[in-house]
Amino acid sequence: MKRRDFLIGTGAAATLALARGRIALATPAADELIWGDDLPGSLDPHALSDVPMQGYMINVYDTLYVNKENPPKLEPWLATGHTVSEDATTVTFKLHDGVKFHDGSPLTSEDVVWSFRRMLNVKKGPAAAFLPVLDPDSVSAPDATSVVFKLKKPYAPFVAATPLVAIVNRRLIEPNIKDNDWGQAWLASNAAGSGSYIADISTYQPVQQIDLKRNHDHFKGWSDNKSPVEIVRKRTIAETTTRVNALIKGDIDATDSYLPVDQVERVMGSKTATVSKDQSMRVMVLRMNNRKPPFDNLNFRLAMSHAFNYKGFIDGVLKGFAVRNAGPIPVNLWGAPKDLAAYDFNLDSAKELLAKAKAEGAPVDREIEIHIQQHLAQTTQAAQILQQGCRKIGINLKIVPNLWPQLIASTAKSESTPDMWVHWVSSYFIDPENWIGQMYDSQFAGTWKASCWYKNDKVDSLLREARGHEDQSKRRPLYEEASRLVVADAADIWIYNAIELRGLSNRLRGFHFTPIGSGADFRSMSLAS
Amino acid sequence: MTRFVLHRLLLTIPALFGLLVLTFIMMRVLPNDPSAALAGENATPAQIAAVRKAYGFDEPLWKQFVIYVEQVARGDLGNSIISNRPVLRDIADRLPATIELTFVSLAFAACVGIPLGTLAAVWYQSLFDHAMRIVTVAGLAIASFWFAIIAQMIFAMELDWLPLRGRFPEGLAPPLHITGLYLVDSLLTLRFDQLGKAVVHIILPAFTLSLAGLASIARFTRAGVLETMQKEFVHYAEAAGYARRRIVWVYVLRNSVVGATTQIGLLFGGLISSAVAVESIFDWPGVGSYAVNAILTSDYKAVLAVTLVVGLIYAIVNILVDVVHAWLDPRVAESL
Repeated sequence: MKRRDFLIGTGAAATLALARGRIALATPAADELIWGDDLPGSLDPHALSDVPMQGYMINVYDTLYVNKENPPKLEPWLATGHTVSEDATTVTFKLHDGVKFHDGSPLTSEDVVWSFRRMLNVKKGPAAAFLPVLDPDSVSAPDATSVVFKLKKPYAPFVAATPLVAIVNRRLIEPNIKDNDWGQAWLASNAAGSGSYIADISTYQPVQQIDLKRNHDHFKGWSDNKSPVEIVRKRTIAETTTRVNALIKGDIDATDSYLPVDQVERVMGSKTATVSKDQSMRVMVLRMNNRKPPFDNLNFRLAMSHAFNYKGFIDGVLKGFAVRNAGPIPVNLWGAPKDLAAYDFNLDSAKELLAKAKAEGAPVDREIEIHIQQHLAQTTQAAQILQQGCRKIGINLKIVPNLWPQLIASTAKSESTPDMWVHWVSSYFIDPENWIGQMYDSQFAGTWKASCWYKNDKVDSLLREARGHEDQSKRRPLYEEASRLVVADAADIWIYNAIELRGLSNRLRGFHFTPIGSGADFRSMSLAS
Repeated sequence: MTRFVLHRLLLTIPALFGLLVLTFIMMRVLPNDPSAALAGENATPAQIAAVRKAYGFDEPLWKQFVIYVEQVARGDLGNSIISNRPVLRDIADRLPATIELTFVSLAFAACVGIPLGTLAAVWYQSLFDHAMRIVTVAGLAIASFWFAIIAQMIFAMELDWLPLRGRFPEGLAPPLHITGLYLVDSLLTLRFDQLGKAVVHIILPAFTLSLAGLASIARFTRAGVLETMQKEFVHYAEAAGYARRRIVWVYVLRNSVVGATTQIGLLFGGLISSAVAVESIFDWPGVGSYAVNAILTSDYKAVLAVTLVVGLIYAIVNILVDVVHAWLDPRVAESL
């Protein structure tokens, strides 16, 4: 065949293919769910503990307990229940019989022990919540369906934190351990779970895509969902505009849950999709480095707290899709005082407080830096709102673009922690400990959550006492009192509790929002024809 | 010619080493410590320090660099500190998509830009020439991400002629992996149904990516043709009675596209960097989106690897351009 003939033939064939009308443009199949949300950076559930990992883990792995509904309720899952010893240091879980991993091997108490030991030895992601109270050798399995945890000290949030720990299949991981790495290199791009969906590793491309197939043999059965989704295609679509267009066009069934507010009306106005608006447990906070002058001055911190236009930000920028949060604990979680008065936007008060701070010798005239996360537009918008208020009272606030890894690295020391920075505290586990406990107990200084370097002996004492009680009715007043003290000290500027906005296709049924995983629990979902 | 190619190849070695040094310094001198991200949420300073030690981030910078260069010399670009996978594997998975997109864009830019530039020169100061000038200036000025969104809104959302995103329809098996280039693989396996699907998916991103290059090539070609048209051999050919079409498209064009050819080589680098935005908007699974994610997560091994691989490709493309240049104008090779 001559080159010219080949080219003509190829061109003709391509033209013919194109001319045959529509070349099947991307449209989801009837039993396939296309989930357009971010994937975790690694598939190892013990290496990461962020929001994308939760969305993956709750489907591919099982945990002792899970969170369901909103506000979330802690429910036994692999465990049938648990008991706590009188001294609150021994927690015993009973497991379901007949649970199987995806490879068909049985999930026993030995697997739970091995999983917790792996998590504690890997020392990443979820480990931080357990390392202060649990040694790897303190987990044991007296029989096939019992697991015993001996804690170093009473730690009430322990059970609430167990949904962080995926139970992994050691039979798959152990042969792939290299250089004593607990199989980290292998599990980063493989799966070893027992969850409702099975990861199809052949489709995996890091932070890009993975397909999940329904686990017909899941131990919970499927009687609660008559027409579950057979295949879920998880796809990261980096660009917001493309994600929203793809939803409206019918290419995907769900966006992420951080839909920009200016896109809500557009999605709602389409015939193909809607927006689920769910109050979450995700508090936006402007951190202040309490050790750096002038932030070591209470009046200065109070002045900053009055210089932020809360209503303007929530109603104007966020179009009302947020709930004002007066303190560190989400308003919809127990432990948050119902009578806590929020700071208001009051420039006259701010000026007075600033004058007091100046009179007390605080260096209020120096340039203050607020670091934003440059790929998250809302952190810039919040900083700009504060900058406007500061300008009116004579504070020179400079906005500095930064990135998450650099920011959390900088918080290891008070000298390197920025004057101020902006972030959210998401719901990694549902307990006040996740917010006020880890943010304002001074023993956590040097972690990003405690990056305000706040120290109040009374608060430390209240938080430590609260951890020691199993009874929620005893813990609640302690957290409420600690909240009042932290807010009175204006340790940080708390802005709002998020309303998560997730675009959903009209054919999607059974979406139930829970803050853990942001509603990405595919077990309950189905697709209308 | 062999000596010429070897000379060009040898020159790429110090260039790539320079690139390696520069990127390493930029990534590691900046306040950029991935240990905290690796240690995870709520990690204590002691846990972060342990991770720093485990990954060797506590070693002196020169030592880290020597270790890295040794690894690169062995062909090992290391593991991603986030995904824990070999970065070369991640890049190999994605590189064909970027190469395919870039080369189709480049081919489109050259195939359309050269004739348009030639016609603009032939019809100098005509309405077509003026229109071309406006179009090419617009092509250079318009931001690719803006044009990409507009193109999506018109051709994917309103008219529904072309897909909005992706490289191949969801749920359908892509062409059998031979080269990783869907257009080539579907042709090699004679799967014209797959070829059609791959073509419709690449049209919008490739056209968007080609816009600036097309404008640039058209302008260079126009300038080259105008200059050549004034040469004596052209007047001689006209006097000798050669057909105008033959004079322009055979003799004048060959003598005019040397500048445009060099431009194509330089454009390649620009296209690769523009591909970051275009890939992101069209959800094209190439190295651009991988690089962006690596930067956001301070995954410095992935950033270094992407820079090195793209630098290598850039060097190869420029060697090819030099070879074409030497073929078009033999004096270039003889000058060595």
